[in-house]
Amino acid sequence: MATDTAHDDHAHHTPTGWRRWLLSTNHKDIGTLYLVFAIFAGFVGGAVSMGMRIELAEPGMQFFPWIAEYIAGADDPVNAGKHLFNVFTTAHGLIMVFFMVMPALIGGFGNWFVPLMIGAPDMAFPRMNNISFWMVPPAMLLLVISMFMDGPSGFTGTGGGWTIYPPLSTSGQPGPAMDFAIFALHMAGAASILGAINIITTIFNMRAPGMTIHKMPLFVWSMLVTAFLLLLSMPVLAGAITMLLTDRNFGTAFFDPSGGGDPILFQHLFWFFGHPEVYIMILPAFGIVSQVVATFSKKAVFGYMAMAYAMSAIGFVGFVVWAHHMYTVGMDVDTQAYFVFATMVIAVPTGVKIFSWIATMWGGSVEFKVPMLWAVGFIFVFTVGGVTGVVLANAAADRIMHDTYYVVAHFHYVLSLGAVFGIFCGWYYWFPKMSGYMYSEAIGRIHFIVTMIGVNLLFFPQHFLGLAGMPRRYVDYPDVYAGWNMVSSIGAYISYGAALIFIFGVWKAFRDKVPAGNNPWGEYADTLEWTLSSPPPFHQFSTLPKIK
Amino acid sequence: MAVFFAISGLFSTSLALAGENDYGIASEWQMDTQAPATDLMANMISFHNLLLWIIGLVVLFVTILLLIIIFKYNAKANPVPAKFTHNTFIEIVWTVLPIMILVVIAIPSFDLLYKQRVIPEPDFTIKVTGNQWYWSYEYPDHDDIAFDSVLIPEDELQEGQLRLLSVDNEVIVPVNKTVRLIVTGADVIHAWTIPSFGVKIDTIPGRLNEAWFKANREGIYYGQCSELCGKDHAFMPIAVRVVSDEEFAKWVEEAKVKFASAPSIQQIKVASFSAAE
Amino acid sequence: MSDEKNHDYHLVNPSPWPILTAWGVFAMAATFIFFMHEMGSGLFPIIALVVVCILSFFWWSDITDEGETQGHHTPVVQLHFRYGMFMFLLSEVMFFVAWFWAYFDAALFPNELIQELRVEYTGGQWPPLSVRTFDPWDLPFINTLVLLLSGFAVTWAHHALIHNERKTVIAGLSAAVILGVLFTILQAIEYSHAAFGIADGLYPSTFYLATGFHGFHVIIGTIFLFVILIRTIKGHFKPDHHFGFEAAAWYWHFVDVIWIFLFIFIYVLGAGDPATMPAEAH
Ligand code: HEA
Ligand code: HEA
Ligand code: CUA
Ligand SMILES: [Cu+2]
Repeated sequence: MATDTAHDDHAHHTPTGWRRWLLSTNHKDIGTLYLVFAIFAGFVGGAVSMGMRIELAEPGMQFFPWIAEYIAGADDPVNAGKHLFNVFTTAHGLIMVFFMVMPALIGGFGNWFVPLMIGAPDMAFPRMNNISFWMVPPAMLLLVISMFMDGPSGFTGTGGGWTIYPPLSTSGQPGPAMDFAIFALHMAGAASILGAINIITTIFNMRAPGMTIHKMPLFVWSMLVTAFLLLLSMPVLAGAITMLLTDRNFGTAFFDPSGGGDPILFQHLFWFFGHPEVYIMILPAFGIVSQVVATFSKKAVFGYMAMAYAMSAIGFVGFVVWAHHMYTVGMDVDTQAYFVFATMVIAVPTGVKIFSWIATMWGGSVEFKVPMLWAVGFIFVFTVGGVTGVVLANAAADRIMHDTYYVVAHFHYVLSLGAVFGIFCGWYYWFPKMSGYMYSEAIGRIHFIVTMIGVNLLFFPQHFLGLAGMPRRYVDYPDVYAGWNMVSSIGAYISYGAALIFIFGVWKAFRDKVPAGNNPWGEYADTLEWTLSSPPPFHQFSTLPKIK
Repeated sequence: MAVFFAISGLFSTSLALAGENDYGIASEWQMDTQAPATDLMANMISFHNLLLWIIGLVVLFVTILLLIIIFKYNAKANPVPAKFTHNTFIEIVWTVLPIMILVVIAIPSFDLLYKQRVIPEPDFTIKVTGNQWYWSYEYPDHDDIAFDSVLIPEDELQEGQLRLLSVDNEVIVPVNKTVRLIVTGADVIHAWTIPSFGVKIDTIPGRLNEAWFKANREGIYYGQCSELCGKDHAFMPIAVRVVSDEEFAKWVEEAKVKFASAPSIQQIKVASFSAAE
Repeated sequence: MSDEKNHDYHLVNPSPWPILTAWGVFAMAATFIFFMHEMGSGLFPIIALVVVCILSFFWWSDITDEGETQGHHTPVVQLHFRYGMFMFLLSEVMFFVAWFWAYFDAALFPNELIQELRVEYTGGQWPPLSVRTFDPWDLPFINTLVLLLSGFAVTWAHHALIHNERKTVIAGLSAAVILGVLFTILQAIEYSHAAFGIADGLYPSTFYLATGFHGFHVIIGTIFLFVILIRTIKGHFKPDHHFGFEAAAWYWHFVDVIWIFLFIFIYVLGAGDPATMPAEAH
C-alpha cells in the first residue's frame, strides 16, 4: 500500500531553481552544498592563515598592528594587533576544523557517496540531512560575528585558541565574542550529531540486497566509524561548552577555582571530544585513499578485513587517549604513563593501514592519475605527521615540545597535509562522477606538485622551530627563529597559490565541459557509483541493485 | 637503561645536524633542541634522538616502498597487475614489528617520565606565579625574597640584552642544586618552561603544580610562556641565571635588601577572581 | 524522473522547515547572547524560540501526515526511525556523561592537596562543608516514585496499545503526562527551597546543571507524551504501527534512567551528614 500512494505525490519531480538548493531533500544536492561551502571556508580559513604567516615572516610586529590601525581603526594598534593575532589563530583553527575539513569529508563526500556506494536511493532521513547542512552556515556566521564583538575588555573577537581553555575563555574574555564562538560550536556540533545519526542509520538499514557489512566499500566503513565517533564525542563537547557558557553568564563555578571549580576539568572534557575529533577528520580520508589506491593499482584492496577493523580499532582506542594533550598540566605520573601507553597503541592499527595500502599497490599496475598522486602523497605526508605524533605521545619527550611549533608541524602534517590531501584525492576521483565533466589532468598535476612543495616548505621547518623552543600562538618571536619562519611563510604563500590553481582547474573543467563518461577509471573502479551515469540521476537506484 | 642512552647518545653525535647548539637560547637556523643544562635534559635529548632515528627509519622505509612502487609497479613497467589480496604472514609481521618498536620506545620513555615527575629531595624551593603578563617569584627558603620579573620593552634594551627574552629581574639559582618549583597561576593558565632544563609546567589558577631542575652549568637560560594566556602571551619570557654558590649567597643578601624596599613586591597570592568580572 | 520507485524507502519532498529552523536557531543564539550581555531584550530570544517551536510543529506535522495519510512509513522506514531514535538517545547519554564527569571530578576528589582553592572551597569533603544538601528521602524520593510511576504508566499504555484498547491507552498516557507535570512542579518546589543559589560555587553548579538539564528533558518528554496523547485521541496509532508512541516511551524511559543515576549519585551518595551542615537558609 505504501508504494501506491507514494506515486501520487510529487516526490519524483525534480525541483529546480532556489527550491532545489534551499529546500533540498536530495543527498547529492546537499552533498554539493556542503562541498561548495567547504571550498569557501577553505579559502577563508586559508586567507586567515596567510595573515598569520605574513606577520610571522619576520620578527617584530608588522602586519597585525597595521590591520588594527588601518582596517579596524584601533586606537592602540600594537596591543590591538597582539590580540588580533590570537583572534586569527582561533578563527583559523575553528574554521579549518569545523567548517572546512568536516563539511568536505563528512557532509560532502559522505553525503554524496555513502548512499551511492551501498546502493541506496538517498539517505535515511533526507529532510534532517538538510538541516545538518543548514545549521553550518549560520554557525560559521556566528563565528564571524564573534570576530567583531567585544572580547577581552578593550578588544574585539575571541583570542582563546580553538581549544578555548578557561579561565582565558571565561574571566579572560568577558565580552559577548566568546559566547558567539560557543554557540557557533553548539550549532556546528548539533549539525554533526544529526548528520552522524543519518549516516549510521543509512549504513545499517539501506544497504542494497546482498551488500553485507563485510562487503561494504572501505569508504563506507570509514564513514560508519567516523559517525560513531561524532555521535559519542560531540555531545561531551556540547556539555563542556555549555558549562563555559554558564560559568561566563550565570555564575556557575565549573572551571572557576575560587568557587571550587577546576580549569583542568574543561581540558579533560574538551580533549575527550578533541582527540576523537582528530580521527573524525582523518578516517574519511583513509576511506577515500583506500578506494583510490585500489582503483589505480588495478588491484583489489589488500587485507580488506584488517583495513576495516583497523579503522574500528583506531576509533575505539581514540576514546581513551585524550590526556596526551595535557602532559604538562601536572597529572600524576602513573596517569601520564597510561596515556603514553594507550596513545602509542594507535600507531599499530594505523601502521596496518599504511602497509596495506602499500601492499595493495605492490605488484599492481599503477596509473598515476591525479587522484592517485594525492593518494600516494597522502600516504607519505600522513606517515610523516603520524610518526611525529608518536614522538609527542611520549610524555618524556612532549615535555619539551608541548605548545611549541613542533606540535603545530605535527598536526598540520596530518591535517593540512593528511586530511586536505584526502579531500583533494576524493575531489579529483569523484569530480567526474559528480559533475559529469573531466578535469584537466595537467592542471591537476600542477596543483598537486605546487601544493606538495608549498606545504612541505611551510610545515617541515616548523619541526625545527619547535625543537629549538619556539612556542605556538606567538605573534612575535626572538630574532633567532627568523630564518625558518621566513621559509615557512614562503611555503605558505605557495600553498595558497596552489589553492588558487585548484579553483582555476575547477573553473576550467566547468568551462570546457569535457564529458567524463560513466566510469573514467576502468574496471577496478568497481563500487556502485560507477555503474550510474555521470552525474547520476536525481534519484538513483529506483530499483535496488543486487550484490552477488 | 644506561645502554639505551649510550646507544642513542652515539646516534646524536653522529646526527649533529646544525653544529654545536647554544645553551639557554636557540641559534639561527637551529634544527634541533637547545643544548642541555641539566642531566635530565641531556637524557631527554638522547631519548629524542632515539625517537628521531626510529621515526626517520620508519619514514625512510615507507618512502622506499613507495619509490619501488613508483618505479617498478607503474602501469608502463608492469602492465599486468597481480591478483593477491592476502598474506597472513606479512600482516602478522607488520602488526608485530611496530609493537616491538613501540616497546623499545616505551622502556626508556617510562624511565625518563618517572625521572621527570618524581621530584627528588630539593635543596630549596621557588614559588612561581604566572600573571597576565609577567612572572612573580618567591624564595620561601631565603627569607621570602619576592619579586616580579617583567619583559624589558624593545626600546629600553641595553647592550647585550635580547629582544623578547631579557627581563628586569632574573631568577637566580646556584649551580648543581636541586631546585623545586611550586607553580600556580594568578589569573589564567600560563606555562613556565626553560627548554635547556627540560622543564615545562602549566601554572594553573587554584592549583599548585610541582617541577624541579638541577642545573649543571653556569649561565643564563631563557624560556617563554608556553600556554596561551591572552594578548601578551608572547611577551612574558622567563630568564634563569645559574651562578656559583658564592654568587648566589651574595645575591640573596642583596635581594633581601633590594626587594624589601621595592614597592611592587607581589606576595604569592593565588587566584582570586570570579568569572563574572 | 519517469522510472518507477521500486523500493520502500521514503524519498521526502523538498521542505522549507530545515532551513527556516536552522536560521531560527541562529536567531535564538544571537538574541540570547545579546540578552545575556544586556544588549537586547529577553523578548527576542523568546520570540525566536516560539518561532522555532512553530517550525518544529510544522515539520513534525509533515512527518505525521506522511505516516498517517500518505503511507510513506513502510516497515523499513519505521526501522530507520528506531535506529535514529536509538542513536539520538545514545548521544543524549554522552551529553549527560559530561555533567556526571563534572560532578564526579568534584565529588571523588574534593581533597586533592594540589587543588588548593578547591580544598578551600570544599573543606576537604564532599558535599562541601558550606553546603546544606537536600534530604534525599524527602522530596527527591517522592519525585523518584513519581517518575517511576509515570514510566509504568507509559508501559501500561503501550501494552494497551498493542492490545488495541484505546481507552486504556488514553488513561495510561494521561496519567504519565500528569505525573510528568507533577515531577516538574515538585522539582520547582525543591529548587525554591534550596539552601544554595546557582552562583554559590561548585556544588550548586553541578547540582543545578545536572538536575536542571534532566528537568529540561522531563519537560520535553512530557510535551512529547502529550502530543502522543493527542494523536492517540485523534486515532493515530495502530497495534502494529506506532513508532511515534514508542519513541516517546523510549525517551521517557531514558529520562527515568538518568534520574535514577542522579538520585543515587547526587542525592543519596552525595547527601553528606546533615549534622555537620550549616543551618537551613530560610
Ligand atoms: C587528523 C588529525 C590528527 C591525527 C590523525 C593525529 C594522529 C596522532 N596524534 Fe595528533 N594532534 C592533532 C591532530 C591529529 N593527530 C592535533 C590537531 C593536535 C593539536 C591540538 C592542539 O593542541 O591544538 C595534535 C596533538 C597531538 C599530541 C599533543 C601534543 C601536545 O600538545 O603536546 C599528541 C601527543 O601524544 C599527538 C599524538 C598523535 C598520535 C600518536 C597520532 C597517531 O594516530 C599517529 C599514528 C600514525 C603513525 C604512527 C604513522 C603510520 C604508522 C606506521 C608507518 C607504522 C610504524 C610506526 C611506528 C612503529 C612508529 N597529537
Ligand atoms: C584542517 C585544518 C587546518 C588546515 C588545512 C590548516 C592550514 C594552514 N595552517 Fe593551520 N591550524 C589548524 C588547522 C589547520 N591549518 C589548527 C587546528 C591550528 C591551531 C589553532 C590554535 O592554536 O588554536 C592551526 C594553527 C596554525 C598556525 C599556528 C598559529 C599559532 O600558533 O599562532 C599556523 C602558523 O603558521 C598555521 C598556518 C596554516 C597555513 C599557512 C595553512 C595553509 O595550509 C593554508 C592553505 C590553504 C589550504 C591548504 C586550504 C585548501 C583547501 C581548500 C581550498 C578546500 C578544498 C575543499 C574541497 C575540495 C571540498 N596554522
Ligand atoms: Cu602567559 Cu602565555
Ligand atoms: Cu590527540
